[in-house]
This record gives sequence, C-alpha cells and structure tokens, in this order.
Amino acid sequence: MSTSVVGKRIPKIDSKEKVLGTAEYAGDMRMKGMLYGKVVRCMEYAHARVKSIDFKEALKVPGVVKCLGPDDVTQKGYNTTIMKLLVPEEFCEVFGEIAEMYVFNKHVKYQGDAVCGVIAETEEAAERAAAKIKIKYEPLPVVMTAEESKKPGTFQFTKLKPGNLAGEFDERVFPGKAYGWPDAETGKMGDDLADECDLIVEGNFQVPKQKQCQMENHAYVALYDDRDKLHCWTSTQMPKPVQVLLAELFELPMSRMRVIQTVVGGGFGVRLGMIGEPHACAMAMAVPGRPVKVEFLREEDWLASETRFPGKYDMKMGFKKDGTPVFVEANFCAEKGGYYTHGNGPVFCAAAFVHGMYKWRSMRQRGQSYFTNVVPTGAYRGYGNPQTSFVQEQLIEEACYKLGLDPVEWRKKWHKSVGDETWLKGVTYASDGLDDCIDQATKAFKWYEKKKKYAKQKGKKRRGIGMAVMNHTSGAWPMLLEHTVCTAKLNEDCTVELMASISDLGTGGHTAMTQMAADTLGWPMEDIHLKSGDSDICGFDIGAHASRTVYCAGPAIIEACESVKKQLLERAAQLLEARVEDLEMNSKKVISVKGNPNKSIDARDITKQGVYNFFDPVSGKQIGIPGQIQGYSSFLANHCSPPFGACLSEVEVDTETGQVNVLELVNAHDIGRAIHPPSVEGQLEGGAQQGLGFVVSEDIYYDEKGLCLNNDFTDYKMPGPADMPQAKILLVESAPDPIAPMGAKSCGESALMGPIGSVANAIADAIGIRFYEAPITPERILKGIKESGKIFQ
Amino acid sequence: MSKHPITLTINDQEYSIYVDGHHTLLQVMRDQLNLTEVKYGCGRGECGACSVFVDDQKESTGRKVVDACLALAATLDGKKITTSRGLGKDGQLNEVQQAFVEESGIQCGFCTPGMVVKSTALLEKNPKATEDEIRFGLEGNICRCTGYVKIVDSVKKAQKVMSKKRK
Repeated sequence: MSTSVVGKRIPKIDSKEKVLGTAEYAGDMRMKGMLYGKVVRCMEYAHARVKSIDFKEALKVPGVVKCLGPDDVTQKGYNTTIMKLLVPEEFCEVFGEIAEMYVFNKHVKYQGDAVCGVIAETEEAAERAAAKIKIKYEPLPVVMTAEESKKPGTFQFTKLKPGNLAGEFDERVFPGKAYGWPDAETGKMGDDLADECDLIVEGNFQVPKQKQCQMENHAYVALYDDRDKLHCWTSTQMPKPVQVLLAELFELPMSRMRVIQTVVGGGFGVRLGMIGEPHACAMAMAVPGRPVKVEFLREEDWLASETRFPGKYDMKMGFKKDGTPVFVEANFCAEKGGYYTHGNGPVFCAAAFVHGMYKWRSMRQRGQSYFTNVVPTGAYRGYGNPQTSFVQEQLIEEACYKLGLDPVEWRKKWHKSVGDETWLKGVTYASDGLDDCIDQATKAFKWYEKKKKYAKQKGKKRRGIGMAVMNHTSGAWPMLLEHTVCTAKLNEDCTVELMASISDLGTGGHTAMTQMAADTLGWPMEDIHLKSGDSDICGFDIGAHASRTVYCAGPAIIEACESVKKQLLERAAQLLEARVEDLEMNSKKVISVKGNPNKSIDARDITKQGVYNFFDPVSGKQIGIPGQIQGYSSFLANHCSPPFGACLSEVEVDTETGQVNVLELVNAHDIGRAIHPPSVEGQLEGGAQQGLGFVVSEDIYYDEKGLCLNNDFTDYKMPGPADMPQAKILLVESAPDPIAPMGAKSCGESALMGPIGSVANAIADAIGIRFYEAPITPERILKGIKESGKIFQ
Repeated sequence: MSKHPITLTINDQEYSIYVDGHHTLLQVMRDQLNLTEVKYGCGRGECGACSVFVDDQKESTGRKVVDACLALAATLDGKKITTSRGLGKDGQLNEVQQAFVEESGIQCGFCTPGMVVKSTALLEKNPKATEDEIRFGLEGNICRCTGYVKIVDSVKKAQKVMSKKRK
C-alpha cells in the first residue's frame, strides 16, 4: 500500500493550534520583564521638518522607562527592502538601494513616518506618554503625484535621484530604457510598427494604491541580552534577510543577531523585508536585559507599511485584420511614496509579465516611478502583474471585439508556450498548460451559452462575462537569488527534524514541505517535524516572495531527505553485506534485500546504534555503525517555471446604483502538480478576493494635505463574505513542469491577476462601457454611464 | 483610575480580578489574563477577530457573540465567556472547528478563533441557515486569506454533521 501524501487532501499540520487559537503570533508573546515600545509617528503632516521634541511631560507619566528621539538611536541609514541580498553588487548599483531610511526621523516624508519612541512598563503607559510628547513641526509642501514630483523646482527627496525620478529602466541593462524585443524582420520596436497594423487599440489607465490588509498587525519583541546578543521575534516573511539587515544596522556580527519568525498572520508581500524591526531593536538596545514589545495599531499598520504601486499605465497594441498581433507598446509611471523601497521593481515586473504573455512581433515597455509624500510602495502579491492584467487583458478583449474575433480562441492561438521566452529575456517556458486551463474554464463556466444568453438584454440590471489569462513565475531566478538551505537530522528513533527557514504565511507551505519530505522518504508525515524560522538553527533562505516556497525551497527539503535515505541505505548495505541498489525500504522503515525479505534490518536499529554506539561486552565488537545521520542541501534554483492561468467571470451591473455584483468566477490554474490541493485552491480563492478588491473597491484616498482618508476596514472596502462569489477553482495538472520539484509550479500570487482582467472585461461586456480607472467603483460606473449618454431600461 | 472588582467565568474557569473602568474585555483577556486566542485586529469592531461568546438570557440560545474590543470589562461582572479554546469539551474541537480543520477553512489563522466562534453562534441560532444566511452572518468577520470559499464550505459541513447528530 502506498503511503504517498503528495496530492492528498489532508488537514494542514498547523490546523489545530489555529482553530483553537493557541498558535502564538508575535503580538501574543509575553516575556518575563517585558516592556512595551510605542513608535511615535507624525500624523498631522505628510511632509514636515521636526523643529523640536519635548519629552518632559511624557517622562512624568507613571510607568515610563525611556523616551528616544532621533539622536538617541543608531544614525545609520537603511532600506527596509532586501534588494542588495537578491542581486549581485553591480546590479544593485543599477537598481540602486538607497539606505536613507532612519529609525527616527527629523524630516518626515509621509504621514506615519516615525519620529521618536517611548518605552514603558505597560502598553497603556507607553500610549499615554506618547500622547504627551510635544513635537513641533515645520510643514513643507506636499507632492502627491508623479506630475508634481517631476516638476522643476520641486523638493528633492534624495540627492541620489535627481528630478525625483526614483526609478526607470536603466540604459545599462535596458537599451532605450525599454524592455521587450524588436521585430525579427525589420528590427523595429513597439509602435514603430504602427503603420503595418489594421487596428490599433490603446488606453490610458489608472491603477490603485491597494493595501495588503493582512489580518495580523505587524508585531515584534526584541531583547538585547546579557551576552550582548540581540534577539528579534518578528512577523516578517523573510527572517534570514532581516537578520542580515539588522546585523548591519546595529553593527553586530550575525552570530550576535538572532531573528525568530513567529506564526505569521498573513503577508501578501507587506512583510517582505523589514518594517518595525529596526524600531523594536533600537528600543531593546536602549534597555539591555529587558524584552521590548512593539505592536502596531491597525491604523498605524496601514499608514506605516508599504502598499501596491499605483500610477498611470498607458498601453497601445497593434493588430492585423485577421487578429495577428503586431506590437505592444506601454509605459507605467508609478507613484513611489516617500522612500526608495523596492526601487522600480514592480514597474519592471509589470512589463515582464507583458513580455511573458503573447507572441507579438515586437514588445516595448518603459516604466518610471517618482517620489511622492505618501507611504512607500513595495511588494504586494502579484508585484506588477495585477496592474498588467487590468490594462493588457482589457485591451486584448477590446481588440477582439473590434476585429469580430472570439477572445477565447484568440488567446489560445497567440499566447506564448514551450520554447518561447518567459517574463524574463533568455529564459524559456518548459511547460504550458494554458490551453487546458482555457478549455476547462470555458466549459465549466458555460462561456458560449452565456455569451448567447446575454447578447440581447433589457432592464436596468445588466449581466456580462469577461475573460483574462495570465503568466506568472515560480521564484524569481535568474533575476533574483533563489537559495534555500535544509538540514535533515535523523533522530535516534528514526524520525526526522527538518531545519529550514521556510515561511508559511498561512499558505500551507509548511504542510507542503512536510508532504514532500514524507514522499521522498516514504515515511508517514507524523515522523517528520519542520523547525523553521529561527536564525540560530536554520541555514539560509531568502524568504517568502515571488511564489517560491514549493518551487525553490521544496527541492532543498527533497535533497536533504534523499541524502538521509541514501546514508541509511549505505549503512544497511554494509550491515547486510548487500549492494545499495539491491535494497528497498518500506513505509515501516524496514530495509530489505529485494526479493529476500528475510535479509532485512530495521532502520530504527541503524539510527539508534548510530547514536548509542556501544561495544558488545561479550564479543567486544562494536554494535552497528557510529554517527548520527544528517542530510543537507543548499539548493539554488535553476529556472522559474512560470505557471499560466485562465479566469472567467460573470457580473451583474446595476445601472441605477453603479453597483457591481460578481456572480460567478471560474479560475483554472496551470499548477503542474498540486502538492496540497486544498492549499492551492485556498491560494486561488483568497487571491480572487484581493483581485476583486483591486478591480471594484480597493484604493487608498488622501486629502490635499496628503493625509489618509481611509485607513480602516470601514472606509477601505474589501469584498466581504456576502460580496464574494463561491469561486470555482480548477487545478490543471496536465502540464507538470519537467524542471519543477514533483512537477509543481507556483500558485501564491497567480490568483489575483485573472479576476482583475476578467471582471473589468465582464463589466465592459455588461454595459458596453470600458473603464480605464481601477477600482471600478459605483461612482465611476455612474459617471461612465452618464458620459456615454446610454440609457438602460 | 478606578479599579472595579469583577468575576468572569472564561471557558469554565473563574477569574476574580480588578479591572480599570476604561479597559475593554479584549485588553483584560489579552494583557491581564494572557488569553491571547482573542485577537486584536482593529480595536474598533470592524474585523471580528476578537469575537467571543458572552452569556445573555435574552437570547434564545442563552448567549451572544460580542466583539471583545467594544465591550468594557467592568460591565461584564458575573458573565460567562467562551472563546475558541472553550468551544469543545476539555480542549477538544467542536463540530465547527473540526470542519474548519477538515475543509482547510484556515490559512494564516489570525481570524480563525473569531470566525469559529461566530460560525458556531450562527449555526446555534439558525441550524438550517442557507448559504446566503451564512455569508451575511459572517459579514462582521474579515478574512483576507481564503476569499471565504473554504470558510463557507466548513460552516456547511459543520451544519451537516450537527444535523446528523440531532437526528
């Protein structure tokens, strides 16, 4: 009987602790002698200079231990992002990593920037004292848009980026400051081919400043202990890189900088790199020997942690009459926020996922980002790809409509496939399950029946259907480093401890890793324990980003387990006087010579004797083979096996209220192989909620002073349980990737894209009006209807 | 700041404590009693991560769900409170929690303790809840991971199991 658990619908390994509530998140930690730190943020201005800070009254509050101003903590600058750990030094110079963020700032660049801190015996005392600190500001002019930012004479955010141009495609890597490829025949690029087209479609789009809204607020506990070692318990997605960054910031050797990742209450990119770790650690260093807890309030979490890249995204496409795609030309100009976090990363990736999708004769895309006085932008699930879905997939549908072509068939005909270049130049697809995704999705959705049904409608409520496809990535190799180390320690009783710094943000990553280990060894899952997230124990891992865990960390687990198995079989061979290749091990851990079950040894005896390696007092001979077995892998990815996906959705638009109701959503995903199917589905279902939010309701709004108007769950509207359709997820496993571990491609971020493009298209299909600004709110729909002069009755 | 002597029975354990008049049930449970299964998500009754049962004889089921962040602890003297840890007997899982485990209705787990309390209440009050009633019933509890698909599946599964048990 096979004991294989890969592909099985088993409960996740951390289910019980989470359903009871005993799982310990950073904010749940209580330590002996623990103090509470409060970061004091500038809430009154989006841009100001700190003239003075007066702690006098604050220090009188009972329970206050210390107040810290900008001069009381390290003066070293840092960048919360980890770019320099992801790319070679010379590339980092190109992308630039500007270490100009400070623990406490005298110059506030966005509402929520940290100015000073209080440490107290209780959280309440810290908050009361924080309210009594008198800070005098000199308000400075506020820059809210790229247009304002680039104007001559505008305040310069950093000397290193003249004209406030935080990023563009650097000439050294991108000739013509563009990404794409020339027409093979003529050498022309992008819209230089416009003359050869029968149809041009174009649009100037606006994409939103979406917030990750993970349910657990950022929280940390830091302790500078009596051996001068700094510990930081954190909700980060990237414990090992955070260890490196903190060690640098506080000028400690890594051996004296320990980072422990706690249970993480959602991430979606917001915890990629550091957020409040520098503040928690700076406070802990001010009170050696006592742990300091820093837990963000929701409104603080909102204002002081990164968001998606918003901005203006212009795209133009050219086609032949028969639908042959000729060129795509695009420019994404983003608003960066107050600091250089994530450089121009998502702006490049927006172009990259255009690169990976269709067989244009030429593609050319440019991108810039400009500093603004709002919370910095950074990583958010999809990393540029959701913006691309909103823009690209709408124009494709429009072109098909104008050419009288079926958008389903057009996409099947013209999407990239095996052998074509992926999102990254020079890296080609090794597998492609997109046609199966499209076929299965259109069938499950009854696309053609619905198309016919909704062709002629009457009434104030109109229904429409839309489609979108996408390509993404599994890890970011070879653009970014993808490296995971795993040590598999075999216990005396032949159970396994896996030590690897693998982040599970609720994704099911730890369950999938355990399944992969179990199948590699052929042993039950209960015998495998994953110890993760403690930098004192675990080797390197870049952290959870770019949908990488199964694809990049999975192989490290597999290799370490294979090594353990190999060592066991080698010892068995020696003890049984047989050849390794003649041996087999069953799920009960009995190793025997194939075809001769009598000649066997229990692997537990091997592991036991390896540790308790005694001499037989009678024979005087050593029993067994000495040494505890450990497997090890230091795995570097060698591809990024991009998955594809196809999404169809149906909406009802109320033309009187502008309300969009998403009635049905089918998302077929080219997973290759689903290690833990419920987790893969869970990613795609949850991603759909965030995708729908992007396209219909989610955006951060600011007043003219740059102060946030909706930093809470009431005024920032995410789709709730009653807004969400019961999304249907189809896991397409017909194209397992030959490079991927067990054939498994990624799914973490992929879920967002399809719903965005397909819902935007469904809205246009329902009322015959296309919307270029996301989110497509009721206000925008009513405005669009009014401007169109259409009457629905 | 005045201190109020109160007695709370939380998950069958009695706590006789002094609380500050302005402290919420959430603060008292988390900071004073170290019962951290009650989560702080927003502190203003928007997310439901701190949903707990408080007994209330006016309710047909004898108890109702309260956002612990909106209830002042001093007003709850003598009340019986149940959290996710006390839903099942002897620290075991109740039908709803069991269904969340089996259906993978859990991802990051942060909303889960509140979500299982709210779901339990929903089914207690309306054992035959339709899918729409389940969805509207959970509107006060935000999850950012699941798209609510497997949460709704879990509640429906628990509903089936509970209905079988009643027969």
